[in-house]
Amino acid sequence: MNLALVRFALRRIVSAAAFALIVAASAFTLTRLAPGDATTELVASGARPEVIARERARLGLDRPFSQQALAWARGMLRGDLGESSMFGRPVRALVLERAAATARLAGLALLVATLIGLPLGVISGATPRHWVARLTAPLSLALVSILPVVGALALLLLAASTGWLSIEPGAIAVPALALALPLAASLERLQAQAVRDVVSAPDLVAAAARGIPPHRLIWVHASRQSLRPVLGVYGVVIGSLFGGSFAVEVITAWPGLGRLMYDALRGRDVFLVSGCALAGAVCLTAGNVIADLLRAIVDPRARETS
Amino acid sequence: MWKRLLQLVLFVAILGALAWYFEGPREAGSGIGGRLVASQRTEPDSYNRLVSPIYPVELISRLTSAPLIRVNHVSGALEPALATEWAASSDGLTFTLKLRQGVTFSDGTPFTSADVLFSFRALYDRKVASAIASGMMINDKPLVARALDDHTVAITFPAPYGPGLSILDSLPILPRHTLEAALDSGDFGNVWGLNTPPADIVGLGPFVVAEYQPGQRMRFVRNLHYWGKDSAGRALPYLDELVLEFIPDQNAEMLRLQAGSLDLVTDEIRAEDYAALERASAEHKVQLVDAGVSVDPTGLWFNLKPGAPSVKGRAWLQRDELRHAISLAVDRQKIVDTVFLGAAEPAYGPVTRGYGPWFVPSLPHASFDPARAKALLESIGLKDRDGDGQLEDASGKPARIAVITRKGSTLLEHTMASVQEQLGRIGLGVDIVALERGELIRRIVGGDYEAAYYGAPVLSLDPANNSDLWLSSGNFHFWNPGQTSPATPWEKQIDDLMHAQSESMDMARRVALFADVQRVFAEHEPMVFFAAPKVTVAMSARVTGAEPAVVQPQVLWKPETLAVTGAAIR
Amino acid sequence: MMRGHDTGPAMTPAQRVGRAILVAVALGALLAPWIAPHRAGDQLTDRAYAPPTRVRVHDAAGFHAPFFYPQTLTDRLRRQFGVDTATRVPLVIGRGALLQSSAGDQPLLLLGADSLGRDVFSRVALGARWSLGVTLLGALGALLIGAMFGAFAAVAGGRADAWLMRFADFVLVLPAVYLVLVLRALLPAVLSTADVFLLMALLFALAAWPHVARGVRAIVAVELRRDYAEAARAAGAGRWRVVAHVLPATRGFLAAEMILLVPALLSAEAAVSYLGLGFPEPTPSWGTMLQEAANVRVLTEAPWMLAPAAALFIVVFALQLAGARASTRAVFFDSLASHASDPS
Repeated sequence: MNLALVRFALRRIVSAAAFALIVAASAFTLTRLAPGDATTELVASGARPEVIARERARLGLDRPFSQQALAWARGMLRGDLGESSMFGRPVRALVLERAAATARLAGLALLVATLIGLPLGVISGATPRHWVARLTAPLSLALVSILPVVGALALLLLAASTGWLSIEPGAIAVPALALALPLAASLERLQAQAVRDVVSAPDLVAAAARGIPPHRLIWVHASRQSLRPVLGVYGVVIGSLFGGSFAVEVITAWPGLGRLMYDALRGRDVFLVSGCALAGAVCLTAGNVIADLLRAIVDPRARETS
Repeated sequence: MWKRLLQLVLFVAILGALAWYFEGPREAGSGIGGRLVASQRTEPDSYNRLVSPIYPVELISRLTSAPLIRVNHVSGALEPALATEWAASSDGLTFTLKLRQGVTFSDGTPFTSADVLFSFRALYDRKVASAIASGMMINDKPLVARALDDHTVAITFPAPYGPGLSILDSLPILPRHTLEAALDSGDFGNVWGLNTPPADIVGLGPFVVAEYQPGQRMRFVRNLHYWGKDSAGRALPYLDELVLEFIPDQNAEMLRLQAGSLDLVTDEIRAEDYAALERASAEHKVQLVDAGVSVDPTGLWFNLKPGAPSVKGRAWLQRDELRHAISLAVDRQKIVDTVFLGAAEPAYGPVTRGYGPWFVPSLPHASFDPARAKALLESIGLKDRDGDGQLEDASGKPARIAVITRKGSTLLEHTMASVQEQLGRIGLGVDIVALERGELIRRIVGGDYEAAYYGAPVLSLDPANNSDLWLSSGNFHFWNPGQTSPATPWEKQIDDLMHAQSESMDMARRVALFADVQRVFAEHEPMVFFAAPKVTVAMSARVTGAEPAVVQPQVLWKPETLAVTGAAIR
Repeated sequence: MMRGHDTGPAMTPAQRVGRAILVAVALGALLAPWIAPHRAGDQLTDRAYAPPTRVRVHDAAGFHAPFFYPQTLTDRLRRQFGVDTATRVPLVIGRGALLQSSAGDQPLLLLGADSLGRDVFSRVALGARWSLGVTLLGALGALLIGAMFGAFAAVAGGRADAWLMRFADFVLVLPAVYLVLVLRALLPAVLSTADVFLLMALLFALAAWPHVARGVRAIVAVELRRDYAEAARAAGAGRWRVVAHVLPATRGFLAAEMILLVPALLSAEAAVSYLGLGFPEPTPSWGTMLQEAANVRVLTEAPWMLAPAAALFIVVFALQLAGARASTRAVFFDSLASHASDPS
């Protein structure tokens, strides 16, 4: 760890935190700007004006926007994200709870994708004529072409018609695979490319000439070297996965951040919306920071840009 | 040796006694009871029925508290609850109710007439501004409750009221001993919020709250002090435990019902679920019960508020002829066949066959006649002026109506899509604007719309209890709510008929008056109806003792006699 | 980073196949009104949830011109349809569509019917125009804005560059969902199909340009230091004139970026319809059609309603094939980032 790298890291982290805060603030403002608020549901149920006024007062919706925003910002600095009007609970607890569910899903997807993608990538990169590689290439091309919506729907259909996977709400297999399979394919293709680059590099050719057995060459030397570019990708993957996938979570009814954000938007739950936005922004920026750092470690030139 | 044996016997005896002690009042081994899991799509926002107008709170109140008199959801008859018998005075205004003896609240405190008076006081308290108060007023005047002794109350109506004591069904009797302080200090509006410890929610209902996990479930256990007994004299409720799972998505509900991890769902099944559930019922996983014809069909109405900004410059939007033309141009059978897969019947007014005696089969109604519809539209200046197949108004602008409806409800969206296609054939354009519920309501309440396709659940079949729809002053008089004086002669006519109907104590006369109301309604069709679905209630095959009704809550209106046989859901 | 100049070796067979599919899809979309046997909004009587009609050329009596067996509704509530194998309904060419049933009361449903009895095949074909059109327009808009913004930042350099790129990063992180929601609430309730088309394209362009801007800025910054740019400057070209010389270098990158943006925006179209900014009924689009198919009941009982998902897959697959060479590491970074920030 040299000083430049540390400085770079600090700068990225500070600006990322600022970003996350700005995003949350914009979400708060945008949601408040849109007409309607959390009490429209009460109006719907025929509540008396007094009841609605009481509820608005309780939620602080009767105060001018500037005051609301100030109160929200003050709470935010204390780590208090306000209370959700839909769930009647502190936003922070709610977001953390759902973030945990998303993290479980993202973690599993990442693990599955890595376990499938990287070894297959090494095989098809190093031995393109091997039958595994021949099988992998078209398959991964097909999987890469599956959009999240399409993947989630196709898996749901498969699960429902065969009964191989549970489709009950809360079952993790379908959403995890919907996220993992395209990712596995992406990682495979990336890893294969990286291995191809490394295998043809002079030092590996020299090593092969020295009589190091080919399988050792591939699995130890080549894969270790080729892992470096792949590592850089993980940051971005982590950021996007842990932020919660809207399509996958909504279609497969996974109670994660994406789903929570969807519900919060629908219920005009101002504090919850900004809480979700904050969580999403934190994940994304954290992912970006990790990606930048990994890239910076791999390639010192990257420190200069951005 | 003997000593050892004695020890063993003693040990077993103590164990048995302990087991009996803990199981004691649960009537272990009676073969009924168990744990029932029901789902609910929305979460409650309070335990306090008087304060919260939303339906889940009403449901919880039905589980944890009891009214004086209950209306049987199937037969419509009055059933004794906390009041065992009642008698009317000669003028029909005052009723004397005998209260059940020996009843205690779930915390063991005896129930007396003081609790009844307290509940009425809280209901009408101005500071409380109870959500259910307006429904418990006759001509804006409250009922008056007096205690004759500890177990007798007299309830006086401010005016003759046709439905009579059925009005008491919606008032839960609350514990004076725990809530009076709050009412006196003006803090009643905030008591029994969702963060109240469950043990503090004291009631007279068959169940008590045991646990609430926000976003997930609310668990109830049987109220050991519940007063109800079945015909064999056995203590009710049968169930040991009842769980409300909060599942916002109807598809998820259906999946879990099919998979066997739910016993009851929020409401009736959709026609499109029928095939799958029928297969599940063939496998003895699910039971399907035909409860009758829906009593709350969805209606299409136009914003009839005079001078509403959204209809400016397009006076034809508020003409009776437009609605009649739509009614004539839509083939209702096609909607029944396509959208409801046949599991519905054509509807021509808000009062469907499900209303029993109130339904008038002979009511004249539109029959499918697109040619007449076109002629009617032409009579209000809508005709195809440029030969493009679309109608234009007098100024040459295309005749299009924007209908707002609820997003995500397939029945509403599909019905409107079918109406859109059918009206398109006579050249009348329809734009469907599907909105989230909150936004939809905001526009309806704010009068910011041209036309809407929506409805409100009907909780009582008696027209006098639904005056919010019929009276021009009502909040659910959708097309022009909350009028200070009737805007049109026919609305005035309906108002008068409804008042006469409500004040009459003679059922035959009430039915006749209400038939007149429906006739006037049909003449002007302020709302156009297309189909009334058949209500099929789905339950897991384990559930016994249910009496499904068309009115919500379809099964849980009588929770105490429900039981679960066989293995319960974990 | 891709170099724009090199045309590279000849196309691989995979690329040829990919391009051929893309051309076929584009032709299909353009000619959809002449291909679709039905109009998008036509609700066929008694055909709600009807399964696909299988086109046959052979029966017990031997071979025939293409025909299908008439479908009859046997149980409405259970959605059961029977086929009458005694009669053959021959297909005809022409008569308003490429292929059409010869019997007016026996509609040809190549991909079955949806919940309202509308022909899924016709809707997929007609929907391609809206879905692919809005995606292409949005992607082109993003390329245009991104390229201009990126080039401007690169040329401006220094502090301005830093702040501009920070702004781009901010837009990248800002969840587009909020924009959609607020926009929807502020706009009039009724939007025509054309309004929605333009708005959605605009929204896509506004949400996706930062990816492009990042790449273009990096390339332009590098290119500006190369000999030919120096030469142009030495020849007296102004700062901004040089950009015109340099921009062609981003061509390869922009092509690769297009291949990434189109799939991301296609799924964004589906997501946006969840949030209420989708195409209005009865305009067909793949996103709105998928939204209806997106529940287990529909999936299992009427899997043919997933046809737009298959169409999406084919388009993206063909893009991947066609752009096989363009997939480099740098592109991959961007693809993930674009997946992350679009509301999909």
